[in-house]
Order: sequence, then structure tokens, then C-alpha cells
Amino acid sequence: MIVVNYLASAALFCLGLYTVLTRRNMIKMVMGLSLMESSTYVLFISMAYRSGSTAPVLVDPPKGRSPEQLAAGNVADPVLQNFCLTAIVIGVAVTAVFLSVVVRIAQHRRTLDADRVRELRG
Amino acid sequence: MSRRAGADHEPHHRVAAGALLTAGMAAVLAVGFLRLQRDHAALPPVARYALEVALPRWKLSEPVNEVVYGTRGFDTFGETFLLLAAVISVIVISRPREPRRGYFGEETAGRREQAEVDPHERRDQEEEQARAAEKEEAGEPDDAVGGAAGLRRPETPDAEPVGSPAPERAHAMSVVIRTAIRTAAPVLAVTGLYLVAWGYSPGGGFPGGAVMLGVALLVYAGFGRKRIAGVIRPGLLEGIEMAGAALIIGAETLGLLLKGSFSANWLPLAPVGTIRSGGVAQLFSVGELIEVGTGLMIAVFAVLGMTHDWTPDEDGDSDGEDNQGPDQSGGSRR
Repeated sequence: MIVVNYLASAALFCLGLYTVLTRRNMIKMVMGLSLMESSTYVLFISMAYRSGSTAPVLVDPPKGRSPEQLAAGNVADPVLQNFCLTAIVIGVAVTAVFLSVVVRIAQHRRTLDADRVRELRG
Repeated sequence: MSRRAGADHEPHHRVAAGALLTAGMAAVLAVGFLRLQRDHAALPPVARYALEVALPRWKLSEPVNEVVYGTRGFDTFGETFLLLAAVISVIVISRPREPRRGYFGEETAGRREQAEVDPHERRDQEEEQARAAEKEEAGEPDDAVGGAAGLRRPETPDAEPVGSPAPERAHAMSVVIRTAIRTAAPVLAVTGLYLVAWGYSPGGGFPGGAVMLGVALLVYAGFGRKRIAGVIRPGLLEGIEMAGAALIIGAETLGLLLKGSFSANWLPLAPVGTIRSGGVAQLFSVGELIEVGTGLMIAVFAVLGMTHDWTPDEDGDSDGEDNQGPDQSGGSRR
């Protein structure tokens, strides 16, 4: 039942989106963004799954299967797993930049409340 | 959901609009995701190509690694330099006004100058004593001045008496945790290197670099910043990171020069299952380890060390101060 994973991913994404849209605490906004990022990891890994498949490792495939048979199917999709790796790195980079911006905003505006930062006061 | 504004309650903003947009997004996602491929779908052609090409052409038994460093190598290249750009922006954003040697300690470095009206004024014996007494009364650690005031921290957390009645300082973990970290950190470090060194193993530069960051954070958490201050400093890490980036660019460009295509393999390929079996993909992976490991360390420690601009609250209350621009709050030093 891989559909459950898809729906869980959609739910995680919406949870993060709701956090970003409604919270005013900037740390919580960053957390919401992280939640949205992790929903894509769930989605990619779920899309890579095939029923009864093995991990995409070609040396020592499971009994009765050759590497060529693995390529014919019945193996988890390596491309989507790679997308997941890429998404993780980009998520980390984005979170790092946002967090440092939040710390600087907090230092200069003395608040984490986005509403008080919104007006660009001199 | 009630809309309560105030520092004590979680401030919300436009709950109704947010809920509406989220519901719409949920509907779109549900419709889209239900039409996605299920677990009986055939492998897409890209995946089949990666699986077929991994072993004979790239000598990598791990198709994920092959996709990362071979088939989608150009993508990984761009992603690496996106991380580099992010690290550079973190450095720029978190940079203090003065050049610094370490990620921590600016706060104490300028403490004496901040505390005095004229730092160049000569201090006589009497004033020294008065200041030391004042410090002791306030219960401050005397790191910056190095005077005779009490509450000196021991040189290493190991020297701190275990089980003393005072609350344990945040930088000195208990002996159990320190022993565990002593055991785990070398194992973790070797594991991280192993992930990168063997081309046929699952892993590669990104997980290896993340493990290296984990080792640094463990040591920092257990032993304090003094133990890692020799290694984790901006000058060294930034140089190493740039060397990693140069290694990646060089390895990929040599493929262009020698074999006619970017990231083509120009190294002799060893048999599968040996340490050099990956060829240029493995070199790429090593460059990634260096760049991702140091880059994440720079980003994390730069954010952790961003204490420079804090100015103490006046009268403990700055809420509702609307006319306080960055010039007053961030610029002036008291």
C-alpha cells in the first residue's frame, strides 16, 4: 500500500505549508520549510519502491537473480533515490542560510515575530 | 482557533487564508499523488539505463552512486556549488565586524573594551582589585581578563570534578558521555571515510561529509570548543573547502580535456570491488566529502557562533520598542 506513503507525504507538505503561512515566529517558519522538504524525501523514496524489490546493489544480488535481471526490473529505482540525496543537500543549504538570516534579523530587530519585521523601518 | 497576540502565546497570522490555501494545496496534491505510479510499475527507462551502465561502464556496483557521480554528474556538480554558494552566504551574513580566528569567543574577546570607558587608560593595582571583587560578586567567569577572580574554568572539562554540588556547566558533559564520545567518534570518522573510499559501497561524498560534521559536533558537545578550536577555525576550513571545490572542478575538467566530455573517466579502472574501482567518479566523491564536510561545518559553526551583535537589553525590556532601528540596536556597543 504505497498510496499511504504518498498521502502521508502530502499531509506532511500541507502541515509545513500551513506552518509557513500562519505562524509569525520565524524559527517555526524555517521548521515548516524543513517539514515541506522532508515530505519530498518521503515522496521520492516511496516512488522508488517496487513491490518485492531489492536494493539497487549489483554485486552479490539476491539468490537466483543476476545483475541483468535486476536491470530488467524488480529493484528500487536508483534515480529517485539519487533525487532524494540531492533534495537533502539542497534542503540543508537552504535551512542553513535561512537560519543565519533569522539570527541576524533577531539581532537587529530584537524580535522573532515576522509581523514586527515586515515593515522596513529605518 | 482563537487569535491571541502577545509574547506568551503563539502568534498566528491570517489563519483563515492559510487554512484555505493549505486545503487547496492538499486537494491538488491528493489528486496528483493518487495518479502517481504504484509499486507494480515498470522501472522508467532512465533507471534501467543507470542499472545497465553502472557495472560495465563505470565499474560501480552501486547504481545510486553511479547516478550521482556518473549519469547525473553534471547535476551533482551544480548541486555541490549550490551548497558552496549557501556556505558563502552564511559566511557573509554571519561575519562579524572584526576579523576572527575562531567561530566562538568574540563575545569574551571584546569584553574588557566594552566594560571600560577608556580601554587605553592604565589600570593601577587598586582598580584591578576592585574590578576582580566586582566580577566575583557578579559571579562571572573571568575568561577575558584572566585576573585572580574565582570561578575559573578548568583547562579541560576532564579536569572538572565530577559530582560537584554546583550545577554542571553546559560545556562539560558527564564522564559517561565523554567516554562514549571518545569511543564513538573515531568509529564514526572511519565509517565516514569508508563510505567514500570504497566505490562499490553505498554512500559517497554527501553522507561521508555529513558524518564528518557529526563527529565534529559530537566532540564539540562533549568537550567544549577548546578541544576543536585548533581544527574548526574559519581560515583553515575555508581553505580546505576551496581545495575540495578545486579538486572537483579539476577532475571534471580533465575529463573534458583528455576524453572530450565533462566528467568523463580518465583514470585507469581497477576491478570491481577494489578501492579504486570507481575511477573519476570516486575522485569526484572524495572532492564532495571534503567540500560537503567542511561546508556543513562552516555553516553550522558560523550559525552557532553568531553572538557578536547582541547588545544587552536595557532594563530587560525591548518589546514594543518601535523606534529602535539597526543603528541603535546593532551598531552601538555598550
